Amino acid sequence: MSIRVEHLTHIYNKGLAYETKAVDDVGFTVEDGEFIGIIGHTGSGKSTLIQHLNGILKPESGRIFVGDVEITAKNIKMNQIRKRVGLVFQYPEYQLFEATVRSDVAFGPGNLGLPEDEIEDRVREALRLVGLDFSTYADRSPFELSGGQKRRVAIAGVIAMRPEVLILDEPTAGLDPKAHGDILRMVRSVRDRTSGIVILVSHNMSDVAEMADRVFVMDRGRLVRAAAPAEVFAEADFLRSIGLDVPPATRMANTLMGEGFAPDRTILTLGEMADFLAGRLGGRA
Amino acid sequence: MKFTENGDIIQIEDLVFEYGRAEAEDGYDPHRGAAGGAIFPNAVDHVTLCVARGSFTAVIGRNGSGKSTLAKNLNALLLPTGGRVIVDGFDTLDEAALWDIRQRVGMVFQNPDNQLVSAVVEDDVAFGPENLGVAPDEIRTRIRDSLAAVDMYEHRKMAPHLLSGGQKQRVAIAGVIAMHPEIIIFDEPTAMLDPEGRAEVMGIIGRLRKEKITVVLITHFMEETLDSDRVVIMDRGRVAMDGTPAEIFSRTEEIEALGLKLPFAVELCARLRERGLDVPGDLLTEDELSAYLLTLYRKDGFPA
Repeated sequence: MSIRVEHLTHIYNKGLAYETKAVDDVGFTVEDGEFIGIIGHTGSGKSTLIQHLNGILKPESGRIFVGDVEITAKNIKMNQIRKRVGLVFQYPEYQLFEATVRSDVAFGPGNLGLPEDEIEDRVREALRLVGLDFSTYADRSPFELSGGQKRRVAIAGVIAMRPEVLILDEPTAGLDPKAHGDILRMVRSVRDRTSGIVILVSHNMSDVAEMADRVFVMDRGRLVRAAAPAEVFAEADFLRSIGLDVPPATRMANTLMGEGFAPDRTILTLGEMADFLAGRLGGRA
Repeated sequence: MKFTENGDIIQIEDLVFEYGRAEAEDGYDPHRGAAGGAIFPNAVDHVTLCVARGSFTAVIGRNGSGKSTLAKNLNALLLPTGGRVIVDGFDTLDEAALWDIRQRVGMVFQNPDNQLVSAVVEDDVAFGPENLGVAPDEIRTRIRDSLAAVDMYEHRKMAPHLLSGGQKQRVAIAGVIAMHPEIIIFDEPTAMLDPEGRAEVMGIIGRLRKEKITVVLITHFMEETLDSDRVVIMDRGRVAMDGTPAEIFSRTEEIEALGLKLPFAVELCARLRERGLDVPGDLLTEDELSAYLLTLYRKDGFPA
């Protein structure tokens, strides 16, 4: 399973005075099992782009292939896309609506017309993957849960579709530091256990630097960089010029570099910075 | 009626706030339900707190800890179930004081899209002062000054939906500034913003502080608290910790037990200490840590 996007363009308010090219001739390929981080200023086209990947939006022009299926084809059935590509929206907990966690997670698979026992299996599996104990949570109302737990239930609802591509749009926005960490660990474990493609849209440069195999950078509708985190975050001035930044560890390394006291490679994480400093200052390994 | 003023612009005395069932979604913690005897425990549970005039207070705590509920009690969006809140001498339970309180306490929320009401930026900023009955000439002055204060004056004729997230949030802040409040409460104002938008909003908070406006900032980003005079940590409706950023973030284990984390530089220093390095305990920011490291480097150099 891979994703191929060719010359994708999306125009909002076409023909009106405030017509905007939200996505402008974007092309890329994502290989099987890759973890992609997408960064970009607000309004850069990230959300518009990913909404094309599961067929919610149709492009002005361009084509998208998921595996060997062209999801931008005229005769495509939405169900064929939704089974393959799961999209977790921003603040997905606002979309919870069922009386129990179990029935909320079962809603998507139910729409696929699966037999009851298969649906039950999928609900169990999805709740396990998001780190919610089935016997504790299945029959609770989702509205009784904490913010982070509600969000995990909403994500489980997407995972229960067993998508080969899981896309998350700012899954940690508004969460406290612990819930933030829990969600990231959950995303990582889902990826490790399902070996599908994961696409994470985030304003948190550290999260993207730590988790992604490749980082896509969007600016005013265009895909301006697609490379490994070390390569993308080596361009601090460029990123700042388009409203972004580098992770704090990289920023600090850059400050030290001005004075000649700096590592010879791009430092992305706090752990890497601690290793570098401990090495130079004579601390224990 | 107005109480005598002292140095504290906000006085919270034994405040209790309890949500009804319909309102309970955000504040309800199912793990506490039975223990407290009530189905819905107090979202704010006997909090006593004073905020000094002109100070910058950061409020942190996990989701559902009562931060936002507390904030909404400060401008009478919510009224105490028990205890009382005195804002600049006005009791929020005094219905006659409602407009005096709302004029004094402005609020900025997480999502700028939910706070902008007009089709043109300057109309949006005029909305608050118009409701206060401010004279048209004065409103024009206020629009100009408050948009200038957030560097958005040149965008005054634009439609808010064409602005970036950070710009929208700045317009929302200008709308609050135009009310000439004494206190501005920011409830996670940067949660939805990109790095530039976050920096812009934090820059404005820094400026408001210089203008001696009292700022209360609720946030999940530990870094944003480092310039504050005081950090208050809420947990399960109560004040769990209260002190300067340096005091608060030296208590590593308690911070983590409260579902929070250390700011980047503090965490990095802690890791270096674990490795046997003698790093001073008062370094809070990246800049402070970098400066310290460079001083060492310039003095002694390091083995390559």
